[in-house]
Formats: sequence, C-alpha cells, structure tokens
Amino acid sequence: MLKTHYIRRFLKSWKIFIQNPLGKTGVIILTVFMLMALASFIVPHINPMYDPMTGIDPDIRVSTGPSLTHFLGTDNVGRDLFAQLLEGAKVAFIVGLSSAFFSIVIGTVVGMVSGYAGGMLDAFLMRMADIIMVMPSLVILLILASLFGQFNIWIIVFIIAIMRWPAVSRVIRSQTLSLKQRPFIEASQVAGASHLRIIFRHIMPNVLPLAFLYMTFRVTSAILVEAALSFLGFGDPSQVSWGMMLQWVWKSGHMFQAPYWLIPPGLSISLLTLAFYLLGRAMDEVLDPRLRKEGQS
Amino acid sequence: MRNQTYILSKLVEIAVIFFVIMTALFFLFRLSPGDPISKVVDPMLTPEDMRYLIEQMGLDKPMWEQYVIYLKNFFAGNFGVSFHYGEPVFKIIKERLGWTILLFTSSTVLAAFAGVFLGKIAAWNKGSRLDSVMSISALVCYTLFIPWFALLLLWVLGFQLGLFPLGGILSPELWVGNASWFVKVLDIIHHMVLPLMTLFIINLGSYLLLMRSSMLSVLREDYIITARAKGLSERVIRNKHAAKNAALPVVTSVGLSLAFSINGGALTEQIFTWPGIGRELIFAVSNNDYPLAQACFLLIALVVLVANLIVDILYAYLDPRITY
Amino acid sequence: MALLSIKNLTIGYQTKEGILKAVDDISFELEKGRPLGFVGESGCGKTTLGMTLMGLLPDNARILGGSIGFQNKDLTQLNEDQWRKVRGKEIAMIFQAAMNALNPVMRVDEQVIEAIVTHQPEISPNDLENRINELFDLVEIPRARMKDFPHEYSGGMKQRVIIAMALACNPKLIIADEPTTALDVIVQDQILKEIKIIQQAMDTGLIFISHDIAVVASVCEDICVMYGGQIVETGTKQEVFASPRHPYTKALLGSYLSLDNQASVIIPDMREAPDLTLKSGSCRFAVNCKRCSRACKIGIPHWANISKTHRVLCCDETITGKTNE
Repeated sequence: MLKTHYIRRFLKSWKIFIQNPLGKTGVIILTVFMLMALASFIVPHINPMYDPMTGIDPDIRVSTGPSLTHFLGTDNVGRDLFAQLLEGAKVAFIVGLSSAFFSIVIGTVVGMVSGYAGGMLDAFLMRMADIIMVMPSLVILLILASLFGQFNIWIIVFIIAIMRWPAVSRVIRSQTLSLKQRPFIEASQVAGASHLRIIFRHIMPNVLPLAFLYMTFRVTSAILVEAALSFLGFGDPSQVSWGMMLQWVWKSGHMFQAPYWLIPPGLSISLLTLAFYLLGRAMDEVLDPRLRKEGQS
Repeated sequence: MRNQTYILSKLVEIAVIFFVIMTALFFLFRLSPGDPISKVVDPMLTPEDMRYLIEQMGLDKPMWEQYVIYLKNFFAGNFGVSFHYGEPVFKIIKERLGWTILLFTSSTVLAAFAGVFLGKIAAWNKGSRLDSVMSISALVCYTLFIPWFALLLLWVLGFQLGLFPLGGILSPELWVGNASWFVKVLDIIHHMVLPLMTLFIINLGSYLLLMRSSMLSVLREDYIITARAKGLSERVIRNKHAAKNAALPVVTSVGLSLAFSINGGALTEQIFTWPGIGRELIFAVSNNDYPLAQACFLLIALVVLVANLIVDILYAYLDPRITY
Repeated sequence: MALLSIKNLTIGYQTKEGILKAVDDISFELEKGRPLGFVGESGCGKTTLGMTLMGLLPDNARILGGSIGFQNKDLTQLNEDQWRKVRGKEIAMIFQAAMNALNPVMRVDEQVIEAIVTHQPEISPNDLENRINELFDLVEIPRARMKDFPHEYSGGMKQRVIIAMALACNPKLIIADEPTTALDVIVQDQILKEIKIIQQAMDTGLIFISHDIAVVASVCEDICVMYGGQIVETGTKQEVFASPRHPYTKALLGSYLSLDNQASVIIPDMREAPDLTLKSGSCRFAVNCKRCSRACKIGIPHWANISKTHRVLCCDETITGKTNE
C-alpha cells in the first residue's frame, strides 16, 4: 500500500521534473555521458589499439588530429583520444557518484544525530562541520599526497567525501530539527522506541529525499576536485581521467598546437558538471513548489 | 563595545582552529610512511649539517618535546630549510604571500561587486532575454573547469593573439633596465590580467546567480510594496531597498566559497606561473620538499581563516540586525 | 462633494482556471469627514480594492471595468508615472505592521524622510527636520528612538511608524488595510484611537479595511460589508448594527452578540467559499444562505434601498422589503 503511494508520488515528481527545461537538458547531457561511460567498457575490445592507457597505434608516433580511425585524434604517443575520453567519462561517474554517495551517508548520519541529540554533541559536530567546510579540499589533498604518496582512486573518493559531508549535514540537521517537533516522533518516544530506532525508522525516510537532492551538488564538486588533482599530477595513475588528459596535453607542451586534444576533456568536465547541477536545480524546483514557474502544475 | 568582544572571540576561535590544524599536521607527519626525520631534514645534506638541524628541530627528543619545539619554531618563524632552494622556508614564503593575496583579493572583490551588480539587473529583468543570457552565462562560468579555462584563455589571448604574456609576473628585461616605477607597475598588471580574468569569471558566475535568486526573494517582501506605496521610482526601489538587502547573503556566500576560491587560486597560479603560495605548495609536493609544503599548507590555512573572519566582520557591519 | 466616487468597478485576476473576479461591480462614495469601513472575510476582495486604490495591483490583475473618481481624475486611467505622483502624496496606505513592511537595513527616520523627500525634493533641511519631528510626535514615538532600526521596535511602534509614513505628505485619502491585526488588544485599542484622532485633526478621507467588524465600528461612520467580491450591504454604522438585513451581515454580527440575544438571530452555516468565477449578476452567497430559494439561484440580486443611506443586495423580498424580521 505504502509502496504504490511512493511510486505515484515519484511519477508525479518525474512529470514535473521532465517538464522543466533545466531538468530536460540535464538529463539529456547525462544520458550522453552515461552512454560514453558504458561504451568505454566495450571499445578497447574492438581493437587493442584503442585501449586508453596502453593502446598505441603502430602507424602513429606523434599527436595527430581527428581522422576516421581516431575520432578525436591521438596523443603524443599515439593513443586514441576518443577512447581516453570514454574512459574519462567512466572515471568521472565513478568518482562523482561514489564520492557523493559517501558524503551523503556521512552527512546524513551526522546531521540526523546532531539534530536529534542537540546540546553539546550538536554544537561540537556543527563546529567541526564549519571548520571542515571552510578548508580548501584541493590543498588538503595536496598535503596528504605529499605525505602519503600517490593515491588510489578509492582513497581519493573517500577523502573527497570526508571533506564534503558538512554541507549535507547542515541541511539534514535543520530538517531533523523541524521533524523532531512533530507529534509522531513524540508518540514514538512515549511508546518506548529507542533513539536509534527513531532516527533510522522515522526520521531517515523523511530526510532522504533532501539528502539525494544535495547529492547532485556533491557530485559536481567531487568531479571538479578529482579533475584538478589529476591535472596537477596527483591522481590515480592507473586510471585515465579527463583531468589526466589535460595534464598530458599540458606537460607535453601540445596545448597550443592540439586543440582537438585540449578542448574535449575540459569541455566534458564542464558539461558533465553542468548536467548534474541542472539536475539538482530541477529537483530543487520539484521539491519546493514555490520555485516553480507559472504554467507548471 | 559589542563589536570588539565579537572580534576578540572570533580571533580566539581562529587561534584554536589553527592550533588544531597544526597539531593534526604534526601527527600526520609522524604517521606517514617513511622516516620522519627525512621529512624535515634533507637527506642530501652532509651529516654535520643534518645533525645541526636535527638538534635545532629537536628531532632526537621524545614526541611531546618535539611537539613543543615544533610550535615554538612556528611562532618564531622558523619553518625549517627548504630542500630544493636550500634556504629558510620563511624567506621563500615571505616573497610569495604578497602575490597570492594580491591576485586573490582583487579577483574576489571584483567578482563580488560585478556579481551583485549584474545579478541585480538580471533579477530585475526576470524572464527577459537579458536575464536568460546572463543566467545561462553565469551557469556556464560556474561549472567551468579552471585549468581548462585558464589554458584556453592562455591559448587564445596569449598565444594566438599575443595580447598578454604567457606567465610570470614581470618581464625581466623591463626590470633589469632603468624603467620607471610606473612602467614596472604596468608590467605587473599586464601579467596579472589573464590570471585575474580567469578567477574573476569563475567566481562571477556563482555570485551572479546567488544575487539574482536573493534579489528575487527580496522583491517578494512586503517592504518593497511599502516602498512602492510611497511613490518611489523603480530605480530607487531596486537599488536602495531591494539590492541592499539582497546583497547580504552574497557576502555570506563569499565566505563560504573561500575554499573553492583558494583551490581555484592555486590552479590558476600554477598555469600562469604566478609566483604565489598555491603554486609553491604544488611545487613543493611534487618535489617532496616537505618543510616547504608544510609551511605553505599552514599559511594557506591561516589565510582562509583570516579571510573568513574578515567576511564575518563585514557582514556584521552591514546587517544591522546582527548584534553580539 | 464626495472625495472618492467608485462606479461599477470590476477587477479580475488571470488564473489557469480563467478570470477570477476579485471585485465584482461595486459602487460607493466616500465623504471626507466620514470614515468608511470595509468588512469581510479573507478573499472577499477588500484588500484587492485597497490595492487598486493605490495602483498596486500585481501583474496578473486587471481592472475590467468601472471608474474611480478622485480629485477630478479617473484613477483607472492612470499610467505608472502618473500613479507615482499620486501614491504617498494624494493617497497613502497604512499597511499591517505584522508584515515585513519596513526595510530592515534602513533606519526608521530615513524611511519616513524618504516618503517626504520623494514628493517634495526641494524641501529645506530645516523644514524637513521639523516635519519629521512633528510626525513622530503625532504618532507618539519618542524622538530618542527615531534613528533605530525596525527590528528594535515593538509591533505597536512599527505600526505607528507606518502611520507616520502614510501621513508624511498630508494625503487627501488614507487607506488602512488591517492596521491592527496581529497587535495585542491593548495596543490595538491605542492605535485605533490614534487613527481616529489623526483623521479628524487632518481632515483626510479614510477607508478602513478589516475582517473584524467591531474594530471597523470603533473608527468608522459608514460600513460596507463585502462578500465574494461584492458589497452585499452598506449603511451607517448605526443602521448596520441595529438592523442588519443581509444574511452575511447577520453572520458577522452574530459572532459578537451577547448571550441573551443569541436566540433571535439566525446565523448561516458558512460551509463553502464563494465562487469568484460566477458570472456577474448571480448571488454569490447563495451556497451558504439558509434562506436561499430557487428564485435566488436563478435570480439577479438587486439593490434595495432601506433608507437614504442603508442599502442591501439581495433577491429575497423578505430581506429587501421594508418589513423587519
């Protein structure tokens, strides 16, 4: 019974969402990149020379422009740029989504506990959130990189998540605070439910939509930070990310001669970030009726 | 009187936070793989030099004593000796800090003013072509990837059109010769244009969008109706009543986005070889110059905290509802 | 000569469901010395009327017909530039202070000064200062508090400032829209007394809008009862209170009658909100009226004069007839 209610609500929200020009654009761009990411699994199998890291076209020794065999051209050691772009899409999604997911998990738990518990614990957690939020993530990643050496992609994901949960927790906390006042919470307390149970059975389902809304914004910042890190040369060397492609074009001195190499990765980063942002804004309008324009139901 | 206690309490807060960061860094250093001593003292030095530095840094003493010496050294300005430059880190940082502050402050302030001004216009003309153009452009700016954008600017304006130098802060020929002071300043500004433009455009996007939405919600407020009822002209209502109130959240957001700005600043410095702390940090990390990296990091953290304080004070000054 | 003369005014809002007539074909006249009150529940159109008289209708609202005669001008024909000269100077509005009616980042005295200087840009600093002091004294706000910010004022003080702002240029007509709602009773009483004194002293026309008939009665001489965008009854204060005719008026008054009178008054059951999309000429109160007959559902309510000043809008003969209940 409850399930159909949720499904109906979801479908209604979807209708509003897809009418929204922001949402439409975002979804379209996202789909394109998603297809690219999926294609990255297949492409190296078509021909080994299309492997983004190791595939070298035996006929090519220098960076060449777009051609029939290489849609975007090759880099300076003869690797196919389009294959690299596809792989970069895969990495961007993995980093963006998992990092956002972790930061949502941490942020939601902290926000709920903080809002529900109140008092000293709340003050302490929020202070910590404030401090972490203020710190520049890239700088911290750099100093950690200097101390602990080259990072594996999952470590990067995790560290970004740790730096980014505060923003989520603030929103979840205020939502929890207002939920706390509601009679059904009090009823549960009187009925003898433990605090943990109340938090996870009652509060969590009500704050989750908000959490997922903010997930989209976390994705954008995660993608940008990872790209910056790779660009500076501290990314995971076993993955080809867009940031890394930019690093190669820069380090190899080709940035002025090879627009076909310079433009696609950066453009992709910006477009994907834009798509997630539009998604978030459209979801915002769906969840908050006041933001909807006239003419939409 | 009230404001002074507020500032004082904030300063204490900063001191505490910075202290925590320093301590965290101290322990991270010890926890990280490799010999801690080699992180402070260049293994390439001669044994005598090494022993001297070890004694100075107190690296042969127990942990808590090291910690005390570490703190003492920091406040004495003794950050150790850079592996790469072979000079006291303090000297190097001193030269770099000014350039970073120059670039960072000017780009932030310019972007904030422009963002408020343009956002105000966009909101006022909501729904029009102008508004759509502004909003979309702002959105694009907001999501640009900084290194890529910087490289594009460098390529188009610097390389193709030759309008601006490709990096650095000055042209050596001018400075070695007997050029006037005015020309020298002009030269620095010439070199600053591209990095400034990069940071300016990136930050402008978010400030514009924020001002726009802030303005839109302010325009729904009742005191705007009151202003109309008094017979005020639309221009006065927009600038004096609406914009002044709408600008307040933008000030707050400048504070919140400082982290983002500093990240961007470091990347920009790197690409344009602007000799600031951000670039120095990247350089130090790439070359395993630990004393330099550590000092750059702490300094950046300090800059972030102080900048936040300035924004907080500014906000308290602008909003009469804040009392402490 | 009437200060304000409204004839067949109709105002509609453009909505997805069509045009909503918030004010439907109303006519009345306002004399300078006789404050006129508009009473009705929320949504009856009284606030829309107030806004129309200031030219402050929102973008999706439009004057669909009728005229507003004021100082030899028809206000329905004014463009924005002309309105700006009227607002604050000839006609001023007293808003509800509970709203965020004062700019939070501007000092209170500056906001009143603005009202003056906009219409009298050449006023000398001396005259300006005198005028400001005069105004603040008039509304009984201590001079020491003049330079405060709005958030430092109590609700009653904020309301007083809003009154001062409305009076700043000696307007000919003041529209007070729920000025005492949300104030506590004692303050409300003070403010009402002050409004009455000021109106008499400055001899301005006053339109007082409220949902509370008792409040309206304490300030006004004449009352218009509004329902569903129409005036359903109008008369002097005494007439409306002593012998209300329209069922809705009786309902309003019914909430205030003392226990011993209760038995003789029939209070209609207000179950539904009025349908504002009904075409003009039908009775909007029909759905809620206990006396509603078939004739009422198809008939056109018309004005019946009970006396020279007392009129009621109804189809029912027993109500409009000269016979009492």
